[in-house]
Amino acid sequence: MKHYEVEILDAKIREKLCFLDKVEPHATIAEIKNLFTKTHPQWYPARQSLRLDPKGKSLKDEDVLQKLPVGTTATLYFRDLGAQISWVTVFLTEYAGPLFIYLLFYFRVPFIYGHKYDFTSSRHTVVHLACICHSFHYVKRLLETLFVHRFSHGTMPLRNIFKNCTYYWGFAAWMAYYINHPLYTPPTYGAQQVKLALAIFVICQLGNFSIHMALRDLRPAGSKTRKIPYPTKNPFTWLFLLVSCPNYTYEVGSWIGFAIMTQCLPVALFSLVGFTQMTIWAKGKHRSYLKEFRDYPPLRMPIIPFLL
Amino acid sequence: MGIVPSSVVLTSFQVMSRVFLIWAVTHSVKEVQSEDSVLLFVIAWTITEIIRYSFYTFSLLNHLPYLIKWARYTLFIVLYPMGVSGELLTIYAALPFVRQAGLYSISLPNKYNFSFDYHAFLILIMISYIPIFPQLYFHMIHQRRKILSHTEEHKKFE
Repeated sequence: MKHYEVEILDAKIREKLCFLDKVEPHATIAEIKNLFTKTHPQWYPARQSLRLDPKGKSLKDEDVLQKLPVGTTATLYFRDLGAQISWVTVFLTEYAGPLFIYLLFYFRVPFIYGHKYDFTSSRHTVVHLACICHSFHYVKRLLETLFVHRFSHGTMPLRNIFKNCTYYWGFAAWMAYYINHPLYTPPTYGAQQVKLALAIFVICQLGNFSIHMALRDLRPAGSKTRKIPYPTKNPFTWLFLLVSCPNYTYEVGSWIGFAIMTQCLPVALFSLVGFTQMTIWAKGKHRSYLKEFRDYPPLRMPIIPFLL
Repeated sequence: MGIVPSSVVLTSFQVMSRVFLIWAVTHSVKEVQSEDSVLLFVIAWTITEIIRYSFYTFSLLNHLPYLIKWARYTLFIVLYPMGVSGELLTIYAALPFVRQAGLYSISLPNKYNFSFDYHAFLILIMISYIPIFPQLYFHMIHQRRKILSHTEEHKKFE
């Protein structure tokens, strides 16, 4: 069996960083990354980007050395992706914040509202309902992060956790402040409005969860396979007939429901910002699907049936 | 759009802050329109823009007189602080009138369950000058060093 030699150069300054000899032909990029870490321990595998061309795309961890277009002496270029943090850690942190922060406002913890309101309770039913819905939403997200989602990537850049937490925690505090305020005004159309909005919220939460489960079932544990998602027996998944990312569709729907229920402008703004971001993600995902699969269903739109 | 090499983000930011000063402060609060600070920033902006656009025009025509390049990367040393002072003084002058009239502000309770205090917002804007202004100013100083010394070297080799 012929062994390979692998040299790793810095992609920017072309300096030789590492030379590996006697590398097995069926070694994967992941294994090469591990070998590289031995000589440069500060660059753990998650922050390594190895590529065949200094300006090219990163090679995947699963790529096998002998299947790459290289001679028996392979030259790989290295780029430092910066400090990394696991997706799971980021998700748990960014979702635990809103759960906790909202409750601080709900229980009217001191120094938020005037002292005469400390630890008092709202007399509006909708305020209690909103707390249940908001808390349920984030508990659901935390549980899904722990038990449902199968992430394609292990890590993301460290700075994302600050960005993401500012967004989630900031908006949670902002909307919680108004909903739980002693001067909160309940919805104009009263119980009818609340009931309708609650129905929308619940349906969309169930829908969102159904999609997460369907996506999970597409991918065996520990793998990174990608397949076209299709409707299942669960009626909530039938939205796949019309959109590529019904999980985002349902998520927007949930927040619109919550906005109508609370009749609170900051909630509407949060829904709008979230919708904008999810549309960008949905369009990206839709484009990837189209590129990867020739037979991708043509009727589907990224996030809103027929429209967007 | 690629016609000049400036960053879209930085330029949009500057345009937005200018529009804000004009519409949301000077136009909205009539009482500050006779302040000297308004004259200060209008003069600073006017001179800056005349030089900046001459710079872009000549650059595109591939005939940039050194004087224009020098002016663009030197006069800002005085014009920038001048403009910022004018802006801050104008916002500061507007504060009591904003507070009195409750301008652009909404308080609880209301059916949108939302509140906004324009007075507090203006104070936050003023505070934001503290981190933002030095960054922009030293970026220009850095650019100056890079671009003006580059020209000197070119001249040496002629």
